[in-house]
Amino acid sequence: QATATDQVVGFGLVAFSLVLFVYYTLWIIALPFIDSDHAIHKYFLPREYAVIIPVVAGLLLLLFIGVFITVVMWRSRKPAKKSD
Amino acid sequence: MTKLGQWLCGLALLGSAWAALALAPPGLRLPAPYRQALLPLPVYLLVAFGCYSLATVGYRLATFNDCEEAAAELQEHIGAARDDLRRRGLRF
Repeated sequence: QATATDQVVGFGLVAFSLVLFVYYTLWIIALPFIDSDHAIHKYFLPREYAVIIPVVAGLLLLLFIGVFITVVMWRSRKPAKKSD
Repeated sequence: MTKLGQWLCGLALLGSAWAALALAPPGLRLPAPYRQALLPLPVYLLVAFGCYSLATVGYRLATFNDCEEAAAELQEHIGAARDDLRRRGLRF
């Protein structure tokens, strides 16, 4: 049996990604087919954000990965050789 | 053809299909809601794939059973290796 923390975190991730997927699917695919005076539209930001937010998040992720790799490589540098 | 070549060909095919439908050349007019849903489709597929990956990682994390015996055995091995190396002169 997996540890309790593992299970909580794991199933939490599953629930989170499910919610995200459903929300995003509604936003991108379902909303264009719903009349613009329906109440559901007030739960969603304007459509441009559906593209801007993931793109910005992706760039931030790449930035974070790049910074992490840079920091790790700096830390693992050997002291500069003085003479041979 | 290599796997990379196959993936790139597939991507190119899907990409050109999407571009053909989305950029709305005069001969090919889809009804407005379809075009509105079609336009962000690449980003949508990327996000969907990300969600699937996250869910898979989470699920495997939650269902991977602890192996108490294997963990104890591993600690034993680590201790033995450490003693051995210390005896041979490696300083920690």
